Amino acid sequence: MKEVVLDCFGEACPVPLVKAEKAMVDLEVGDLLIVQIDHSCAMKNVPEWARGQGYNVEIEEIEDGEWEVFIEKTK
Amino acid sequence: MPREKKVEQYDVVIIGGGAAGLTAGIYCGRARLNTLLIEKALVGGLATYTNEIENYPGFPEGTTGLGLMKLFQEQAKKFDVKFKGTDVQKVHLDGEIKKVETFRNIFEAKVVIIAAGGRPRTTGAENEDIFLYDKGISFCATCDAAANTDKVVVVIGSGDAAIEEGTFLTKFASKVIVSVLHDEGIMDCNEIAKEAALRNPKMEFVWNSVVERFEGEDHLERVVLKNIKTDELIPIEADTCFEFIGYLPNTDIFKGIVDMTDRGYINVTRNMETNIQGVFACGDVTEKYLKQVATAVGDGAIAGFATEKYIAESEIFEEQILTEELSLSYIYNAIDGDSRAYLTTMEKLEDEVEAKINIVDVYKSTGIADRLGVKEYPCVVVVKDKKVVEVIKGLPSKEDIQSKL
Repeated sequence: MKEVVLDCFGEACPVPLVKAEKAMVDLEVGDLLIVQIDHSCAMKNVPEWARGQGYNVEIEEIEDGEWEVFIEKTK
Repeated sequence: MPREKKVEQYDVVIIGGGAAGLTAGIYCGRARLNTLLIEKALVGGLATYTNEIENYPGFPEGTTGLGLMKLFQEQAKKFDVKFKGTDVQKVHLDGEIKKVETFRNIFEAKVVIIAAGGRPRTTGAENEDIFLYDKGISFCATCDAAANTDKVVVVIGSGDAAIEEGTFLTKFASKVIVSVLHDEGIMDCNEIAKEAALRNPKMEFVWNSVVERFEGEDHLERVVLKNIKTDELIPIEADTCFEFIGYLPNTDIFKGIVDMTDRGYINVTRNMETNIQGVFACGDVTEKYLKQVATAVGDGAIAGFATEKYIAESEIFEEQILTEELSLSYIYNAIDGDSRAYLTTMEKLEDEVEAKINIVDVYKSTGIADRLGVKEYPCVVVVKDKKVVEVIKGLPSKEDIQSKL
């Protein structure tokens, strides 16, 4: 069960989503992907994609306008 | 093997970040309670799906749902409410310490406030699941109106939301066809919205109809309505179908735990208490007469206030009432003259017995009496080793009390 941090600070849509999708391919079930974002549109589409896949999702605002999206690969 | 969950402690965990949950958060935060609010999607709840809110007091020019909820959240943050953006998977609500489980954490709290709201109800028609959300079936005119500029859209329902949102859609769409279950001229919405809709040249109505099925290749192309009186099928070419046929409360994880109605709405007292001590509920998730931002705010304020009282009472109860050493608690209602006069007897007793004396007035709150399991007042409750030893009913003489010690 490893944790992978994906730094997407400063990157606009759809880059964070594309990166997250790619990173997830290499992960095993139970692994955690942490996507760091600061564009509010990614705050919407990254979690939406992940929930749509049936993954566990948590969004945490670490600073004003900066978020970490925790995604657990569940299948 | 599942990931180990980190355990965190709070005074209050609020489930749901709509108008009710955010208001409860503001009240709890301002009462200096360590408060966590968990929201599964975006903070703001259902109000963020509404473009214009014109009946929320304080905004004579109207406001947007998103804008208003942003202000709510800012205010909650100002009072140090913490936010987590994730789904609650499980709850354990009995006992003094409640547990709320998400995929990464177990949150322990003295109080849980359920403000989980609801979600749009769907028609259940054939192929509906294939076209939900971005494939042509929408629940939010504000979100999808602009994408339907100069197109034909279908609206299902005739309540306030259906007719008002349908009217809003006529600003964009070339035609808005409304499927109404009732006979011609009968709608569930308010009269003003109804008259405006009937006069609107871009709106058409299909009376006595329900959705039979949805059709299309990748995206919705056709809504097939059915006349419920004649069984006639009415295909309508449309790009988007907006469904406004009510909401379902988000109470699945509370089933069998919290008392609720047949339709899944949580039953609460006027103080927003559920059937479980230390668990409150507020907003659209509760059984209530009017679901609006204004009423959600009222509910949330009561739930927040009641939470503060409950926690304060818990502290008094544990530290002063349910003691190791011998204690006597006089439970009375201050509006009763005889009960008031008896206070002097209790005061005298304080010098004569080796016991802690508590005076508990039930006029404002019966919380402590309820915890002691006392239903009739006045009475004197004797506690030792954290257990109720004896309940002496009425206004006993000093000797009476001393003989029981």
